[in-house]
Amino acid sequence: MSHKKALHTFFYYLLSVLVAVIVLIPFFWMISTSLKSKGAIMALPVQWIPKKPTLKAYKQVFTMFPFLRAILNSLFITVSYTLITILSSSMAAFAFTKIRFPFADKLFKVYLASMMIPTQVTLIPLFIIMNRLGLINTYPSVILPSLFKAFGIFMLVQQLRTIPNDFMEAARMDGAGLFKIYWKVIMPLCSSAIATLSITTFMDSWNDYLWPLVMLTDKSKMTLTLALNSLNGQYGTQYNVLMAGSLLSMLPIILVYIGAQRNFKHGMLEGGVKG
Amino acid sequence: MKTKKNNERISAALFMLPSFIGMIIFSLLPILISIFISLTDWNGLEKLSPATISKDFIGLRNYTDILSGTEFWNVLAHTLYFIVLYIPLVFIASLIIAEILFQARKGVGVLRVIYYIPVLTSWVAASLIWKWVLSPQYGAVNQILAAVGINGPNWLTDEIWAMPAIVLASVWKDMGFYGLFLLSGLNGIDNTYYEAARVDGANKAKIFFSITMPLLSPSLFFCLIMSLINAFQLFPQVMIMTEGGPNGATQVMVERIYTYGFKYFKMGYASAYSWLLFVIIFALTLLQLKGQKVWVHYES
Amino acid sequence: MKRDVMRKTLAMGLTIAVTMGLAACGSSTSSTAGTADSISATEKPAAAATSQADTAATSAAAAAASTVSAAPVTISYCNFNASGGNEETLNKMYEAFHKENPDITVNIETIGYDDYFTQMQTRVAGGTAPDCYELNIENFAAYSSKGVLAPITGVDTGNFNQTALQAFQVDGTQYGLPGDFSNVVLIYNKDLFDKAGVDYPTSDWTWDDALAAAKKIRALGDDYWGIYAPTTYNEFFKEAAQYGGSLLNEDKTEFTINSDNNLKAAEMMIGKVTDSHVQPSDTDLAGMGDSDLFESGRLGMDITGIWMFSTFKDACDFNWDCAVEPGGTQKATHFFSNALVINASADADKQAAAAKWINWLASSDESAKMRIAASWNLPAISNTDVLADYLKQTPPDNRQAVFDSLNYLVTPPIIEDYSQMSDIINEKLSEAASGKITPKDALDQAQQECQEKITLK
Repeated sequence: MSHKKALHTFFYYLLSVLVAVIVLIPFFWMISTSLKSKGAIMALPVQWIPKKPTLKAYKQVFTMFPFLRAILNSLFITVSYTLITILSSSMAAFAFTKIRFPFADKLFKVYLASMMIPTQVTLIPLFIIMNRLGLINTYPSVILPSLFKAFGIFMLVQQLRTIPNDFMEAARMDGAGLFKIYWKVIMPLCSSAIATLSITTFMDSWNDYLWPLVMLTDKSKMTLTLALNSLNGQYGTQYNVLMAGSLLSMLPIILVYIGAQRNFKHGMLEGGVKG
Repeated sequence: MKTKKNNERISAALFMLPSFIGMIIFSLLPILISIFISLTDWNGLEKLSPATISKDFIGLRNYTDILSGTEFWNVLAHTLYFIVLYIPLVFIASLIIAEILFQARKGVGVLRVIYYIPVLTSWVAASLIWKWVLSPQYGAVNQILAAVGINGPNWLTDEIWAMPAIVLASVWKDMGFYGLFLLSGLNGIDNTYYEAARVDGANKAKIFFSITMPLLSPSLFFCLIMSLINAFQLFPQVMIMTEGGPNGATQVMVERIYTYGFKYFKMGYASAYSWLLFVIIFALTLLQLKGQKVWVHYES
Repeated sequence: MKRDVMRKTLAMGLTIAVTMGLAACGSSTSSTAGTADSISATEKPAAAATSQADTAATSAAAAAASTVSAAPVTISYCNFNASGGNEETLNKMYEAFHKENPDITVNIETIGYDDYFTQMQTRVAGGTAPDCYELNIENFAAYSSKGVLAPITGVDTGNFNQTALQAFQVDGTQYGLPGDFSNVVLIYNKDLFDKAGVDYPTSDWTWDDALAAAKKIRALGDDYWGIYAPTTYNEFFKEAAQYGGSLLNEDKTEFTINSDNNLKAAEMMIGKVTDSHVQPSDTDLAGMGDSDLFESGRLGMDITGIWMFSTFKDACDFNWDCAVEPGGTQKATHFFSNALVINASADADKQAAAAKWINWLASSDESAKMRIAASWNLPAISNTDVLADYLKQTPPDNRQAVFDSLNYLVTPPIIEDYSQMSDIINEKLSEAASGKITPKDALDQAQQECQEKITLK
């Protein structure tokens, strides 16, 4: 029995490490490239670990744009965006699954359908609308689209459907109103999905590119992703600088994610239905 | 009784309000305008107004042009090829990840972070990394293949291997996301089900198929719909890794839409393209929503 | 008749769709474009014409009254050229301009090249385009034919290199100024030439000379390549000119892609890869650029832009120099330039100020000096005194070749569907370079596809 268990453990770790290695190889490559000088990138045979590591690429990134300002802009936009998305999506998902109202089914289909039009096509009409609303070159122009995230609504709807209605009924018996049920009963019950959605949304907003590019023209409002793009010149790409910049832009989200892991460890992420 | 119903409706409206306003402004209106654009040969540069639209009106000609040419069907075939390769791979990979994390052994916290790093990376950065990793001569992938005696292909410049290369990068990027989503589904399954099954003396396989799979089905269903929609909207990785090449082997829908709208200045044509794309995705999603009754199990 | 009804219904439908959401949300808050949206398309040319007349009048008035009485004006300028390291130089240029013209304030916005044009198109269509901005040649072709650019008047363009200036004329009207300018030369690895025992290239070389040298360098070893010139549209229209060919007939009413002269050019261009194999194919290059190959010291000759000088200076640990690129039956050389343009819907006083600014930026001696000092492309001007500083910088020793090349400039054939034409030709040429079809088939197919998909005026 214990022999079998040991074997099981061995295969478990073999598999999990294998997957981890596959995941990490490209990043290893990225870090290694960012530490190379321009000549070393194309040297043959390929250097897995740079022979003469240099921080030149990082220095170049820092001198090219106001890094700190861009990080603050990105943080402000991303945090507001994520909060609004979570609230608005969970409210809609709650209404769709736990309240009966006319045309709910049809409306849900419209919501779903809206996910299916590629953003490239609605870019110009949407720009014109935002212009009419006087929102161009303002933070709200990049934050407000968070009001409607069909993806988030759909994801939470799927999650809420797995929560038995007994919980609702029990709370109702205790005389709780709908808002109280939403906030005190349903939200904690789907905390795991909400944590996942927060991270996905945070990351989407952090990495969003096309929309802020079109909306924000003022340099002082520029996000990190936009700033990174200015590393791209008309004639050719400097891989080491690009990789250094990409790495720097990823660090904040990875830190946020690890932080979230710690905080939610016993609550949200591991949570789920505990009866 | 009646007032209760009315109250419910009012609260439903309140709960729906933020997303509904957002939907109208950020989704419905632009989409409606894009229908009109699809009936014109508007170039995407002149100022858009009702007058421009009526001046450039050409009826359904964009649609008939697209459907009667060969390009659309080729592009559709490329997309389907992507889906056939991508969906099984990403599902297997993310189930493995979910299962590894679900067992919650020592070190699982570190693994969870590692598996999620690709998801946290922007597509722009990820595509650049992959383009570099897949470089035949300098890339990590072929270096590793060479170490085990395999002569790796010219991934992105080879008509046969370009699409599989994009699939590879996409699976790598997405598996952590679906993996963690399935994990939250697994966590959501009430332990009492498992205990009851064990009391009944069910073996592991039986527990997996009769309890885990049905109870996980809403999560699986979500992953299936999302991955299909995303597969049809495949874009940044193609734009950065191959730009639709070599010889058009990786031309896909959104890449074409972007090229026509923003490179060739045929915004009307591009809008028509995207409406055809919409019809296809919509039909498939409806089909799945209908089909879910067969295999997706909701508790309530 | 029926169509008319359709149109009206359509226009009404759209109006409803637009006003439904917009009017309700309060529409007067918008800053620049709101009202202009309602100007109908038919009114527009008239409006443009008036503003054009205004421009001339204002600038004349401004000149007469000099700087004393001119009202202060603030304009916006958008560019991609300074991205990737030259933003500071651009700011310095502006400071100098502002000192001379204290009444004109310019808000400069620099955006990375990759998505610059998506953003610009959105802004132009949304009616919030900057007052003046930069366009590459492909987009200039499209924009100038759609009536969104204002003719450039009221400034003295005498300082420009006239061939470069003409590149941005459409039917005799100047819609853009060459903001900067790069050309293509033959850059060669001296050490490899020595090793192979071949004489260095001269400015009289033809493709046959280049090919002969390339073969000897290729013979040095499997990892060594003789020459690289892109097998692309850009290279093709130039090499076609070197053999006396062109892509379009003279009045641009018909494609002449598969003419005999063009075929000679294509065969030379493709043959280097598929027959003599002195040039690496895409497969051989395996994802690395020709410049990377050159920097690693394994490429004898690289036909590439002078923008590579500063990179090669840092990256190459061998001796290298440059010469005028080889010719066919005659010499023809590339030049790449970006256009500085003015927004047709900007106010007249802004248009006048914008013309002043872009003209100063592109052709004044002062900005030219700063540009050269920063090794940031070349100013497209004819004043060789200013350019003298450029010649002093080494390597390459033979910088004079950059200016000698200017004697043979060819400009790209500007048509409305420029991007689509270049994509079609690119695709066919790359098929030929990979050996799938012959150069002749490639040109025939490109000719046919262009005729089918593109309507020439």
